[in-house]
Amino acid sequence: MTSGASDTDGAARIVRDVVCGFCGLGCDDLEVAVTGRAIAPRRACPEAARLLARTDAPPPSARIAGTPASLEDAAAAAARHLAASRSAVFSGLGADLEGLRRLYDIAMVAGASLDHAASAGLFANLERLARRGWIAATLAEVRNRCDVLVVLGADPASAFAHFFERAMPSAPVPADADAAPLFVPHAGGRSVVIVGGPLSDTSRAQLTRHDVVEITVPEDRIATAAAALSAALAGRATEALAGLPLGVAEALALLAGRLKAARYGVLTWNAATLPPEDAAAVAGAAAEAVDILNVTTRAAVFPLGGRDNVTGAHQLALWRFGYPLRTVVGAGTARHVPDLYATATALADADLLLHASAFRPDPPPGFDRGPVIALAHPGTAFAREPEVFIPVGTPGVDHAGHVFRMDSVICLPLQGLRPAELPSVAAAARAILAALGRAA
Amino acid sequence: MRTRITGGRVFDPANAIIDQVRDILIEDGRIIADAPPAPGEDVIDATGAIVLAGGIDLHSHIAGGKVNLGRLLMNEDRLLHPEPFGDFCGCGGGRAAPTTHATGCRYSQMGYTAVFEPAVVGANARHAHLEMADIPNIDTGGFLVLGNDDFLLRLIAQGEGQQAVNDYVAWMLRATQCCAIKIVNPGGINAFKFNGRALDLDETGPFYGLTPRRILNTLQRAVSELGVPHPIHLHGCNLGVPGNVKTTLATIGASEGFPLHLTHIQFHSYGTEGDRHFSSGSAEIAEAVNANPHISVDVGQIMFGQTVTASADLMSQYRNHKIADPKKWIGMDIEMDAACGVVPFNYRDTSFVNALQWAIGLELFLLIEDPWRVYLTTDHPNGGPFTSYPHLIRLLMDKPFRDDHLGRIHKAARAHTRLAEISREYTLEEIAVVTRAAPARTLGLRDRGHLGPGARGDVVLYEEQPDREAMFAAPRLVLKDGKVVVVNGEVVELVDGRTYAVHPPYDPLMDKRLERWFDEAVGLKANHYRIADGEIRNGQGPEIVELNP
Ligand code: SF4
Repeated sequence: MTSGASDTDGAARIVRDVVCGFCGLGCDDLEVAVTGRAIAPRRACPEAARLLARTDAPPPSARIAGTPASLEDAAAAAARHLAASRSAVFSGLGADLEGLRRLYDIAMVAGASLDHAASAGLFANLERLARRGWIAATLAEVRNRCDVLVVLGADPASAFAHFFERAMPSAPVPADADAAPLFVPHAGGRSVVIVGGPLSDTSRAQLTRHDVVEITVPEDRIATAAAALSAALAGRATEALAGLPLGVAEALALLAGRLKAARYGVLTWNAATLPPEDAAAVAGAAAEAVDILNVTTRAAVFPLGGRDNVTGAHQLALWRFGYPLRTVVGAGTARHVPDLYATATALADADLLLHASAFRPDPPPGFDRGPVIALAHPGTAFAREPEVFIPVGTPGVDHAGHVFRMDSVICLPLQGLRPAELPSVAAAARAILAALGRAA
Repeated sequence: MRTRITGGRVFDPANAIIDQVRDILIEDGRIIADAPPAPGEDVIDATGAIVLAGGIDLHSHIAGGKVNLGRLLMNEDRLLHPEPFGDFCGCGGGRAAPTTHATGCRYSQMGYTAVFEPAVVGANARHAHLEMADIPNIDTGGFLVLGNDDFLLRLIAQGEGQQAVNDYVAWMLRATQCCAIKIVNPGGINAFKFNGRALDLDETGPFYGLTPRRILNTLQRAVSELGVPHPIHLHGCNLGVPGNVKTTLATIGASEGFPLHLTHIQFHSYGTEGDRHFSSGSAEIAEAVNANPHISVDVGQIMFGQTVTASADLMSQYRNHKIADPKKWIGMDIEMDAACGVVPFNYRDTSFVNALQWAIGLELFLLIEDPWRVYLTTDHPNGGPFTSYPHLIRLLMDKPFRDDHLGRIHKAARAHTRLAEISREYTLEEIAVVTRAAPARTLGLRDRGHLGPGARGDVVLYEEQPDREAMFAAPRLVLKDGKVVVVNGEVVELVDGRTYAVHPPYDPLMDKRLERWFDEAVGLKANHYRIADGEIRNGQGPEIVELNP
């Protein structure tokens, strides 16, 4: 399925071209050294290195109320809790598509609302995408076509370490016929304009061959600046400029001119790191700017996000139920009420929490109204011992699986790097389904 | 286990069996030659029913990114059309962009057993396959969209020769596990990325300096030389543009004798006559199709009501987005491969343009003489949801019914169509051809679309009744691989489908070239783009369609 070209270096097996499923950027050129069950990252961003690194220690066993148990017994206990529940919440949903499919099967049988731990940014974007839409581009289009990139908000590299390297490589010297960017005239180079910022030193170093402009705007004024930019593009006078730092309005007007002159402008933002009350407005302003630009030239949005396969959880919910996440399913129906079924709100009325987090040791949200079933990373530190804990393997570390990249077009195959000793989320969920009397 | 279907009137045009009462025998999922009754065989009484092979839809957008975007935009439609509650409910629904489970069940309930997704963008192929694996009761396959992909356009522009193109096409078919090649607006989607707003057949596109004609001919030659059974499946230039009948006629002329399939030809048959500068070009198109036996078409009939249009043709969808209803739409430039545009539409019989589009589609169905070269489609969901097929079948089979509907459409549109003068009514034999035998033949599926020995045990019993819409909406019985899956229009069993692919050979040097291309230009490893056999249908692997010699 994947290349994972490997050779040995002493006792260690070197695996190349490892696909990464953590932040959503979908790097697929990582390298690790595997010795027994221990994994030492050799080429990975700090986040991936932290999440890939494993020791040879034997994995923990499943537990029922703190007492070690077999997978079958833990699954049976989980099934009993699920069967007794009247309003279950499934949270986290940090799993590959195979795991998600089985979790959604359980939800259909037992009845549950579904939401992903990283869906806040997604829902801010859906305010625009589902209600009015936008024109977007995928990573390879940005990489090859974008001559003016506008970042609204924080340095993308803070959450997506390899973003600039992958989205905005500079033309190689000497020229290479296949190397990105293929459609950016080399003489002019590319422009990267960050409205917000600041850029980290690493990002600045990464972008030295581009023309970089930093328009410093405090976090709580980014929505205003984004609105001002789209207003400037529309040729509207902007009262929206109120509260923007000195010189920012002029800089944004210049930026509007640059975008109009660009061949393919791209606007990007990370809705998850913007102030929650502003994220939807930033997405809306970016989409608006792109709409205006496309009348005379080409432009697209490139929303950042996608941690722990939230994009896959969203896609699967759409093709299974016809609705995004924050939907309750069961008894033959599905009801999508985002305000009601966001994890935090849904938990206020829930009598059971099933939390799945296979990519990282994130504990379940606080919940004391009923049992907690955790299909979780073996390293999870729980604030209170769950009624049922099934430690699960990580997709792309312990077993193969599929995850979506942030642009929602590319679905990537992850591979197992070491002998699996823990069940995958899919296997754990299948065991629960079997205990519920349903074949998966 | 053996099943005997007895007493039904069999319509099996592929085997020249028309309206004969005879037994059909199925053993281990396949039809076998007739044999004397044996003890222990299951007997299905088909008296009063007509017996057909399972239906095949060769052009229906059922899976992948653009369909999911359609679902996202069509939450109201989803709410209005939940799946019927019961043992076989999948908690989904929707009519214009139904969920995967609902797609399988609704098709199955009408007697369809195979459906082809006609626009798989290579970069999104894995997603499309994951969705297809989730569709019950239906075999599937995807047509790979080429003709706007930068690697191909560069190969052609650099004059690298046909063999290189063939190797690339073969590599891509394998990598994406598709079973045919589709071209959407050749060169046009790519041109739009460079801010080109229109591209006619002989216009030179930006950057690569290629005409759509050249791209079309190169890919026609490639599929022909590779032996891919289905000819190029072409969504031509200028979709929906008044006057595009000229482009379509020129495209038929451009096919250089290679077989060519023109898809949703209704959207490409518009003239500019009359005071509204929109008229029917169906007579000219039908005449050209009738005169050119190497041309086949599917119609892409429009049906009145709410739907959503989902297309790789962002150039055209951008042009149309202002008439979105409801007012929202999504566009996307995709990964050096293609693009997509998703625009909700509400076709109204009170609109001159929509009413005439409806009439043009029916004119094409009725004026093209050879049913073996016409396939029944609404280009689901672009012309209308596939659940409207029984209604469409009645429009084709029942002249008074058709006239009655004609009487209700926009008055000026009625004056612009010859529909009232056309007396043709499709026969049951012709319906069996356009919904079964002909699509199987063009796709190279030798064991489908007929009821002869060796065919898949996909058999449908329709209760003979004068109301053809009611008849085709709820078959008495549907067997999939010999198993009863539908009784009286209700799903009684869910079975796994399979997915078709073609695997033409290619020069291994293409591996090296594409490794470099993906690594450097695309920024993704070729090995991660490529879909392994084991990823298809939960490990089942693809069903390989044989290549033409
Ligand atoms: S940037 Fe994201 S995808 Fe790339 S290696 Fe780091 S965590 Fe993985």
